[in-house]
Amino acid sequence: MKSVFKGAGILILTGAVVISGCSGDNSGAKNSDQAIAFNKTGLPIVEDAISLKMISPKAALAPEYSQMEIFKRLEEQTNVKIEWENIPDTDFTEKKNLLLASGNLPDAFYGAGFTDYELINYGKDGTIIPLEDLIDQYAPNLKALLDRRPDIKSSITAPDGHIYGLPSWEENNLGTNPFFHVINKKWLDKLGLDMPQTLDEYTAALVAFKTQDPNGNGKADEIPLSFMHMQWCMDIAGIFGAFGLPDNLEHRVVRDGKVIFTATQPEYKEALKYFNEKWYKQGLIDPESFTQDAAQYLAKGKTTDETLGSYIWWEKEEVVGTERGQDYALLSPLKGPDGDQTIGRSNGGGPGRGAFVITKENQNPEITMRWIDQQYEPYMAAQIHWGPLDVVFEKDESGKLVNFPLPEGTSAGEFRQKVAPGTGGPGVITIEDFGKVVDMEPRAQQRAKDLETYYDPYMEKENYPSIFFEPEELDKINRIESELIKYVNTQRGKFIVDGGVDEQWDNYVKTLEKMGLNELMEIYQNGLDRYNATLNK
Amino acid sequence: MNQLLKRKSRGDVWFDVINLTLLSVVMLLVLFPLYFVLIASFSDPNHIYSGDVWLVPKGFTLDGYARIFSDSSIWIGYANSILYAGLGTLIGVAVTVFAAYPLARKNLVGKSGLMWFLMITMFFSGGLIPTYLLIKDLHMLNTIWALVIPGAGSVFNVIIVRTFFQSSIPDELWEAASIDGCSNTRFFWSIVLPLSKSIIAVMVLYHVVGFWNGFFDALIYMNDESKYPLQLVLRNILVQNQVNSGMMMDVESYAAKMRVTELIKYGVIIVSSLPLLILYPFLQKYFVKGVMIGSIKG
Repeated sequence: MKSVFKGAGILILTGAVVISGCSGDNSGAKNSDQAIAFNKTGLPIVEDAISLKMISPKAALAPEYSQMEIFKRLEEQTNVKIEWENIPDTDFTEKKNLLLASGNLPDAFYGAGFTDYELINYGKDGTIIPLEDLIDQYAPNLKALLDRRPDIKSSITAPDGHIYGLPSWEENNLGTNPFFHVINKKWLDKLGLDMPQTLDEYTAALVAFKTQDPNGNGKADEIPLSFMHMQWCMDIAGIFGAFGLPDNLEHRVVRDGKVIFTATQPEYKEALKYFNEKWYKQGLIDPESFTQDAAQYLAKGKTTDETLGSYIWWEKEEVVGTERGQDYALLSPLKGPDGDQTIGRSNGGGPGRGAFVITKENQNPEITMRWIDQQYEPYMAAQIHWGPLDVVFEKDESGKLVNFPLPEGTSAGEFRQKVAPGTGGPGVITIEDFGKVVDMEPRAQQRAKDLETYYDPYMEKENYPSIFFEPEELDKINRIESELIKYVNTQRGKFIVDGGVDEQWDNYVKTLEKMGLNELMEIYQNGLDRYNATLNK
Repeated sequence: MNQLLKRKSRGDVWFDVINLTLLSVVMLLVLFPLYFVLIASFSDPNHIYSGDVWLVPKGFTLDGYARIFSDSSIWIGYANSILYAGLGTLIGVAVTVFAAYPLARKNLVGKSGLMWFLMITMFFSGGLIPTYLLIKDLHMLNTIWALVIPGAGSVFNVIIVRTFFQSSIPDELWEAASIDGCSNTRFFWSIVLPLSKSIIAVMVLYHVVGFWNGFFDALIYMNDESKYPLQLVLRNILVQNQVNSGMMMDVESYAAKMRVTELIKYGVIIVSSLPLLILYPFLQKYFVKGVMIGSIKG
């Protein structure tokens, strides 16, 4: 027995010596490459090739980034070789956390999707370095962008004044209103009804759909209105605008710089009363609207007999198919009982802040910054996001990048994955760049046109921008908001289905206040004030 | 047999009838979900969602399978999984048996101390990050060893096998053998192992199933997609086709993606569980016996 422990002790000791010996070797290894011929401007960035280690997520269909045409070209131009470690995007979050926690760091994380929490916390403990000085000195493209667009600068600057992560954004404004409201035009014509202009006309049309058998199969199988309760792009939040105050998924809107929580306002209450009395009680709402998932919802548009009267989805063809899509038409916001006609503007939608970070292990931050700055040149940004020139784009006479037709049998989304880092990649394509530097994809163009025709004239002027909060504020928001929103949403469903808004309203508002509604709104208001202050500086 | 039947009273017959009916119902309840997955993998997702698919596939399609198999990585995944499961099982079972046998012998010095030492590892572990660092410093990252070495010989299995040895290999057998001049090693190879087929079969099944279904270790330690096991490949195919609101800012065909996801979901279940469904019947007869012997007697 004794000898066993003795043996074990010796083993442990030798082990410790071996391990400490190993780590002793490593520490001095990284000081050799000081004399690099580094060009402060122009290309190549360095005279002799140098390599940087970067970790990046990649889509499942994408090749390794070292094989990607766009990065090969960048390497040729800059003389900076990137040793990519690609992690499938589905596993990226887990691995990123593991690498950061274990201190196993590359020179930089590319397309990294760092959250605000991570930026601040890893910025504070020095794992990732502040970038604003490097931007000033070595990133002319990015600097020009930030000077031109103070809102982007304000949005990527952490509350402590540093910039830890670089932005990623396609500012196409397609998300301003996701709630595209669709109605069956063929049925309207058949029943001799006009396109509804007001909420009451719309309700009358729904009643007609339900009772007059517009699909003519002799069965009352028509679903006048189907949607998905509190889901992005499928909810009736837009219709609340008919009562003067549009709702959205956060129940948070901004008017004249003041943050308003919609779900305790009188307009919201009126809307719920209307939906319950006029719609739910008359059986106009598909009861599954509160439970169905997207697959069930999409299947409803493709039944053998046409059964959908009206629905909400941001591209009508996806629900009912291209052929049947011609029977349906988009509805502008409806005029409410008091003549209100508005539609909400989605919150957030600003640039992503964590697309590129440089770690403390990096011995050549200047070179890294110059390398990444290439991707903030608008033409390059477009190629990083959608794919390289001659493969995806060609230049027309005015120098604008226009799309080649897609290869046979591939969808736009799939093709994009194969040729470019895509949506999360560093690089900003601003709204001015669209149409001047690069063309939108055809489907996106259609959507932009629809937004302009049907919704923009009625849209709220302000929204709640994507704001960089302090960690303490984030903690509070996380603590209060998720429970609160869950409660509001459940009640919203209950009020629409069961009614009883008048009786339960005071109780409902009181519960919300108890859950910390006022504190939450204060944080949001402070955040907005701070954002506006830096914007005007 | 017929005479026996005739001797049954009316009550017996009723008992049988009710019993059989109930059992059949239970069996159907168990089998139907499996059957549904099978037919759903051949059906049009829209029909599945409108509840039309019941007993036969509706809107027969092989698109799901075409999609799954068109991905060359699935074959690589299959090959990797077979390799990992094969090698991992070999190492795992060997380590387990080699550890369990000495612990089952009464004359091992320091047995209780060793047992304590092993037990402690059952309840305390370093956690994910220290383990990751260990694997990294052993230079096992991105190699097959990261998957097959760290988990080899779980204490739980060692205890099961040890109990089996203690209860079914009597000491008298060793005494008799040693009188005839048999060495310890010879006794183990020629007598203990042949008598322990059932418990080894159980261990093989445990390990194969474990390696076949495991994806988390590979997720953490493997960086190279060509080294992914099947489960991870399938997971990526599935997740890649899943849609979330973030991606919808991207101009993508949501409906098309949804359809593919629904199509391949069921196919993926079939594809991944097929090898185990094939393996199980061959091990089943040992399985029942082995588990019972190993577990019940303390």
